[in-house]
Amino acid sequence: MKLSILAFALAAVGRRKARSIALGGGLAFAVVLVSAVVFLTESLRAEAERAHAAHPDAVVQALVAGRPTTIPVATAAQLADIPSVRAVTPRVWGYVFLPALQGNVTVVGTPKEASPLSVAAGTLAEGRDITRGAHEMIAGQELAKFLGMLPGDELALPTATQSRPLKLVGTFKSSLDLYTADVIVCDDEDARSLLGMPDGSATDLAVTLANPQEARVVARTILDRVPGARVVERDLLARVYHLAYGRRAGLVLGATIPAILALLVLAWDRASGIGEGERREIAILKAVGWSTSEVLWAKLFELLLVGAAATALGMLLGYAWVFWLGAPGLRPALVGWSVLYPRAALTPAVDLAQLLGIGLAVLGPFVLLGIVPAWRASTSDPLETMRT
Amino acid sequence: MRSARIARQELAGVVLLLSPLLVVALLAVDARARRSSRDAEQGAIDALARRLPTSDLALSGGARWLRAPSLEEPGAAFADGPAAPDPDPAGGAMAPPISIWHPEGQRR
Repeated sequence: MKLSILAFALAAVGRRKARSIALGGGLAFAVVLVSAVVFLTESLRAEAERAHAAHPDAVVQALVAGRPTTIPVATAAQLADIPSVRAVTPRVWGYVFLPALQGNVTVVGTPKEASPLSVAAGTLAEGRDITRGAHEMIAGQELAKFLGMLPGDELALPTATQSRPLKLVGTFKSSLDLYTADVIVCDDEDARSLLGMPDGSATDLAVTLANPQEARVVARTILDRVPGARVVERDLLARVYHLAYGRRAGLVLGATIPAILALLVLAWDRASGIGEGERREIAILKAVGWSTSEVLWAKLFELLLVGAAATALGMLLGYAWVFWLGAPGLRPALVGWSVLYPRAALTPAVDLAQLLGIGLAVLGPFVLLGIVPAWRASTSDPLETMRT
Repeated sequence: MRSARIARQELAGVVLLLSPLLVVALLAVDARARRSSRDAEQGAIDALARRLPTSDLALSGGARWLRAPSLEEPGAAFADGPAAPDPDPAGGAMAPPISIWHPEGQRR
C-alpha cells in the first residue's frame, strides 16, 4: 500500500513540476554550497596531515619580544644529551619577497645529511637533486613556470646581502604542488646567504625522538634548558590544521548562511502554501476513501521525493565542483590569496558519516518543516474544501 | 498496462528516495580510487616532507604567517593583520579555567 502511495506522490510531484523544481533547485543549491566547502576543507586538512608523520617530533624556536627569531646552532648541543633525543638538526629556512611575484617565496636550506630527491623516487618532475657548494636550486613547478625558468637557468633573488645566482637543476613534481608551489630548495650556505642569516644561527632546531610518546616530557626539559624558547610538538600540529582550515571553512560557510537561510525560508513557504488545486485533490482523495494517515503519507512522500533527489543532486554537484572541476570560484576563497596557486588535484577525504550528515542536515529540516502543513492538509474536511 | 505504469512509478519513487544513498555510494567509489592513487605517492610525499620545514600547504605564499601557520601563527599573525580580529584567541573559542595556569605562575 505504501508503495502505491509513493507512486501517487511521484505522479503528484510531476503534476506540480514548476513548484517541485523551485523547491528542489533551492535545496540542491544549499547542499552544493555546504558540501563543496566541507569537501574542500577536509581535503586540504587531510593533505596537510598526509606529510605530518615525516616531520620531526618537535621543533624548537627562539623567541624575542614574543616573535620567532633565529636560534644559535650551539643550542643543539645543549639538547642532544636529553634522554630519548635521537638527533637535533639546525634548520635554515625563511622567506624572500620577490617583487616580480608580489609575494614571498619559501627558501629552504638542505643540511648535509638530508635524504636525496630524484625523479625515480617520484619527488622531482625533471632534473636532479642539488650538489652542495655548486649554488644550485630546485624549485616548485608553479614558481618555475611563473618565473619562466627551465632547468639550467639561473635566478638571482633580490636580497639585502650579496648572494650568488642559483642555477635551477630540477623542479618538483606537479602533484606535490600543494607543498612546493612557492618553495626553493638550495644548500644551507646559499640559504643563509639569501636569507641574510649569519653563520652559527638557524631558523629553528628539529628534534627527533627515539620514542615520540615522550615528546611532552622532552619539551618540558627543553624549556628548562633553553628558557624563553618555544617548542612546537608534532602532535599539536594536527590541532592547528583543524583550526586553520576549520576557520577558513567557517568564514566561507558563514558568508553563505544568509543565502542558505533565504532558500530554506523560501522552501518552507512554498511547501506550506497549499494551493487550490492541491486542496481539491486532497478533498477528492478523502472523499474516495483515503484515510488521514494515507493522505499524510502521500504528502510526506512528496516532500521526501523532492528533498532526497535535491540532496543527491546537490552532493553530486558539490563533489564534481571540487574534485572533478577543481573547485573554480571556491578554491581561491579557501586556499588563500597568493599569486602562486597550487594546481594539484585534490584528494577526497570526507568519510561516509560526513556525507550522510550533510544530507541529513539539509533534508531533515526540510522534511520537518513540511510535516505541519502536510498534517493540516490531511486533516481538512473534504466537503467543506469542495464547497469553498 | 495500467499496473505496469504504476509499477514503474513505484520503482522510480523508491530509486528517488534512495538516491542520496546511491550518490554517496558512487562518490565513495570515486573517492576511494582517488585516494588509492594518492596513497601510491606517499613515499614521495614523505621523502619531500623530510626536506621541508613544515607540512603546511603552500596555500598563501603572500603572507608568511599563513604559509606556515603551525610554526608561526601564534607569534606572527598580528604583525600581518594590524587591527584584524585575533584569528586564534588563546588557542580556541573558549579559554581554559584560570586555575590551570597556577602551576605555570609558580614555576616562573
